Amino acid sequence: MTETAFQQANRGCWSGGWVRFRKNRTGMAGAVIVVILYLMAVFAPMLTPYDPVSQGPLPEMRHNAPGWSHPLGTDKFGRDVLARVLYGSRISLAISFLSVSLSVILGALAGAAAGYAGGWIDAVIMRVVDALMAIPRLFLLLTCIALFSNSVPLVIILLGATGWMATARLVRGQVLSLRRQDFVVAAESLGAGGRRIIFRHLIPNTLTVMIISATLRIGGIILTEASLSFLGLGVPQPIPSWGRMVFEGREVLLGAWWVSTFPGLAIIATVIGYNLLGDGLKESFDPVHFS
Amino acid sequence: METLLEIKGLTTEFVTEAGAAKAVDGVSFEIGKQETVGLVGESGCGKSVTALSIMRLVQYPPGRISAGSVMMDGMDLLKLPEKQMRRVRGNDISIVFQEPLSSLNPVFTCGEQIRETIALHQKMGRKESREKAVEMLGLVKIPDPAKRYGNYPHQMSGGMRQRVMIAMALSCQPRLLIADEPSTALDVSVQAQIIELLLDLKEKMGMSVLLITHDLAVVAQMADRVVVMYAGVVVEQAPIDSLFADPAHPYTEGLIASIPKLGARMDRLQVIPGNVPDPLRLPAGCRFSDRCPKRQERCLKQEPPMFSIAGGRLSRCWLREGT
Repeated sequence: MTETAFQQANRGCWSGGWVRFRKNRTGMAGAVIVVILYLMAVFAPMLTPYDPVSQGPLPEMRHNAPGWSHPLGTDKFGRDVLARVLYGSRISLAISFLSVSLSVILGALAGAAAGYAGGWIDAVIMRVVDALMAIPRLFLLLTCIALFSNSVPLVIILLGATGWMATARLVRGQVLSLRRQDFVVAAESLGAGGRRIIFRHLIPNTLTVMIISATLRIGGIILTEASLSFLGLGVPQPIPSWGRMVFEGREVLLGAWWVSTFPGLAIIATVIGYNLLGDGLKESFDPVHFS
Repeated sequence: METLLEIKGLTTEFVTEAGAAKAVDGVSFEIGKQETVGLVGESGCGKSVTALSIMRLVQYPPGRISAGSVMMDGMDLLKLPEKQMRRVRGNDISIVFQEPLSSLNPVFTCGEQIRETIALHQKMGRKESREKAVEMLGLVKIPDPAKRYGNYPHQMSGGMRQRVMIAMALSCQPRLLIADEPSTALDVSVQAQIIELLLDLKEKMGMSVLLITHDLAVVAQMADRVVVMYAGVVVEQAPIDSLFADPAHPYTEGLIASIPKLGARMDRLQVIPGNVPDPLRLPAGCRFSDRCPKRQERCLKQEPPMFSIAGGRLSRCWLREGT
């Protein structure tokens, strides 16, 4: 259906981007992949009759090759790999979504405060960012997990708390260029204070850029969580996690290749899906790309 | 006439690598209650910085108000704590900027932005402030205000957006409206509408207006009194009629002469030769001396003070000494 110019002019401020996004093939492909993954996570119990954690009778169920009863085979404990991949998507998607949300919120607040206040507040926040960025993230994560016993909420908090720096830099840069814009000065001239300027004028205007960067980062977070689990420090047993499944299957990669391969493919699909989605959003909404 | 705002010796400097440039250098003038004062001058002569200084919105660094006072109701606005100053902004003094295209936040609807300003200064609920915002949209003659309330800035024309800005600035009945080139960025026909609207609202709301412009035609239409600025200083102050009839400063003469006249055949447009001097490299004597057609020996050496001349007028020109 084509729109008239009048209808185009009367859409909200973001809907121009949606029109562009719907025409963006890679972006739509990414969106479809991500939606399918979330549907898999939600409807996991309907998609497989098996329980992801209960073990089959051993040893006859150990490392069964993919077949009719177990489409993706079974692992060392006779658990259905398909069920574990499906249920594992819940963990991977929840962890990546929540921890990226957390880091975006932290980063936006820190970056907006730094950019708006300027002076020593800016200097302190940005030096903390520099310092945290100088420490290898995995090292930071391993230290923290070694200090506390690992659990899903802890992994989410740690991934969020170690991932906010890039957002802070991004938002600070945006705020620096926004804060001398006429509408911000106009709001100040009408008596708006600092908090109102930040939450009503600065952060909403960086939202597009933040959503784009968050989407692009979710792929990275899923990989980080997978590496943590691969190192045995991610989500605890017996919760199915893709990273952990790759880890467990690596010993039998030559004989029972399906144990590692399918969760690995799931990781790849998720990361690709989110990256395509992020690129599509960027091309459709980021002012640099369409104007 | 009762005085509303009294500016005395206002000095604002911008610190640059080459030194402190005084963009506004000891500016003094008054604005009476319900009076419209035109602040006139070329680009870069310090008009807008004067306005921003009155509102204390000069960005620091690099800008800094280094001297002077701005008295209103017996208080010096330059000495108020920031929190109290915030209450003055929008409530007592409002400003409308030149660029209606970028002066509105692109992610909220126009109505919502007016509503927010109202809610900020007046204890009003959401519904009440919304009604007030629609009323303001009607007051600035936006057709179908209830429907336009939900429009985003990019869905409106430049003239409409400037009307929204005016509605926002006037939503809390300020006593002084500073209009910084309110019609410059608009089409000529729309300019006239905006000026007419401002005149009309000024009458209705009984406020004072400080009209900043480089366009003497706009000043002639609106102002009661004119303050002419050049290179950071006031060079002439006069009631509107005597300014046009008998300009008391060669710079004002030049400004008036450079208005193209309809019907008169001219091969070239009249201009004042040269540019406003760099505030870091001002001439030793009169700041206008290097461009002045009536320049004398003395003008190059000695800076003229402000002379009071007949009819309550002021001029910073040696030719007016003792007149």
